[in-house]
Amino acid sequence: MSPIFQLKGAAVEYDGRLALGPVDLSIEAGEAVTIVGPSGSGKTTLLRLLNGTLRPTRGEVLAMGRPMSERTASELRALRAHIGFVHQDHALVPILRAGQNVIAGCLGQRGFWSSARAILWPQRVDLERAHSLLERVGIGEKLFQRTDTLSGGQQQRVAIARALFQDPQALLADEPVASVDPARGRALLELMTDLAIERDLTLVASLHDLSLARALFPRLIGLRAGQVEIDDAPDNIAEATFQDLYSLEGLRGGEVG
Amino acid sequence: MSTVAATWDEIRSLHQARPRSLLLRGTMLFFGLAVVAVWLSGEIEVGDLFTERRRRNLMRFLTIEAVPFPMREEGAATLPVFWIWVSGIWADRGAAATLSTLWLALAAIVLAAGFGTLISPLAARTLATPQPYLLEDRKRRGPWMLVSGGSRLVCASMRAMPEYVLAFFLVNLLPFTAWPAVLALALHNGGILGRLYGDTIENLDPQPLRAWSMLGGQRAALASLAAIPSAVPRYLLYFFYRFETCVREATVLGMLGVASLGSEVVEVQASHFYDELILLIAFGVGIVLLGDLASHLARGWIRRAG
Repeated sequence: MSPIFQLKGAAVEYDGRLALGPVDLSIEAGEAVTIVGPSGSGKTTLLRLLNGTLRPTRGEVLAMGRPMSERTASELRALRAHIGFVHQDHALVPILRAGQNVIAGCLGQRGFWSSARAILWPQRVDLERAHSLLERVGIGEKLFQRTDTLSGGQQQRVAIARALFQDPQALLADEPVASVDPARGRALLELMTDLAIERDLTLVASLHDLSLARALFPRLIGLRAGQVEIDDAPDNIAEATFQDLYSLEGLRGGEVG
Repeated sequence: MSTVAATWDEIRSLHQARPRSLLLRGTMLFFGLAVVAVWLSGEIEVGDLFTERRRRNLMRFLTIEAVPFPMREEGAATLPVFWIWVSGIWADRGAAATLSTLWLALAAIVLAAGFGTLISPLAARTLATPQPYLLEDRKRRGPWMLVSGGSRLVCASMRAMPEYVLAFFLVNLLPFTAWPAVLALALHNGGILGRLYGDTIENLDPQPLRAWSMLGGQRAALASLAAIPSAVPRYLLYFFYRFETCVREATVLGMLGVASLGSEVVEVQASHFYDELILLIAFGVGIVLLGDLASHLARGWIRRAG
């Protein structure tokens, strides 16, 4: 296996404040990795570095063997077209139908007119593909439902189907189950890990729920104040290490509340 | 000191230390000063409203001039007489004038909304960036600042031109047509809608648009397939709000000679037929209310459409 993502001394600063790093990290193609850590530990920043929507202030990020810094804007766009991203708050266009939101997964791979036609007047081939993906995530019957009429869990399934429509090599997920109840959250994560195995996808998901992270992922990365504190299989990590990771002591704002 | 008293002292000290809104205080001071300045200017006398002569004029207007002409005779103030009078004026001049006012206002607002929709993605500073919704970096906006700033300047210039002055100028270029009124209203309202529509796009939830940008979606796709459709309910709200204004202004511009309720109002006012004048104004109010109803139904339909 070769690394699909590599961070070499990558660090990100916001307004002079270090949000992440410097981090050295390697994620192999086909791996399923979860990123855990307290709020503000740099989980979202790390995911945004991986799909090139954020530039490191220092260091280098490589995706599919090539440094992000060597890619032009259009090459970055082409790269992102092959990296699915599932957002915490679904990030779907509420006024469109579920099928249209799924077909929007083609945006990075087609030109404007072709994308517009696919979304506004979808052809049979696109509709069949969107339907089969929605079927796979368990809500095929919602193909023509307006997105804002769906529940939070159903919307997250639409978002997963949209990412799959991209036919991606990697799937990044930023707190994908934060807005659904624990039972549905577990079902959604199981679906994502199953899909990753089924389609040989690299899966990198940030999670708040430590028990889900430990139960469903073979590799766990623990971030604290922008630094990688843990990187191991969950079974090898001691309970005390997790307690240290989430301890308020020494964290910015830890003294409040 | 008892515990209750100590708690009350703490509440009082928290109240003393509460954050105070400078904006609110400044606004209250500004309005207070404005009222005092107007009062002291001597230009507006409240007493002017209540002189004996004004009272007599008002009574004559309400009891004689505003009463429909056929109803002024003893025993003629009945609903059938009123209805015959209304339908007569409606058939004679009201229907044609009301409809031409409506078409004028509709033509103007459709042109204005078309312009506003086209310019809104350019005026929205969230879309007019090198990589919309990604890599937020104000220093890197470069030429896109000119695009959004230029679009906003165009809109500001258009809405700075008063419709009446614009129509007055256009009447000389396009005499005996409805175009002076249509273009004057479309230009002024196009500037207003362009700005409002641009602000609406800026205020949309950025997450879906960021997601589309992450997917590799181009700016045109973000604007036309996600931003504008998401903004449609608010666009409609502004559309119908400005449509009301267009109906009112189309009536006023009729006073320049363009066929509308306004030209009829000028004619009956010259003849001192105040009863007919009130009825013509009521026809104008009727169109505005119908527009309001259409707006309500359209927005409800969009909310429910699934």
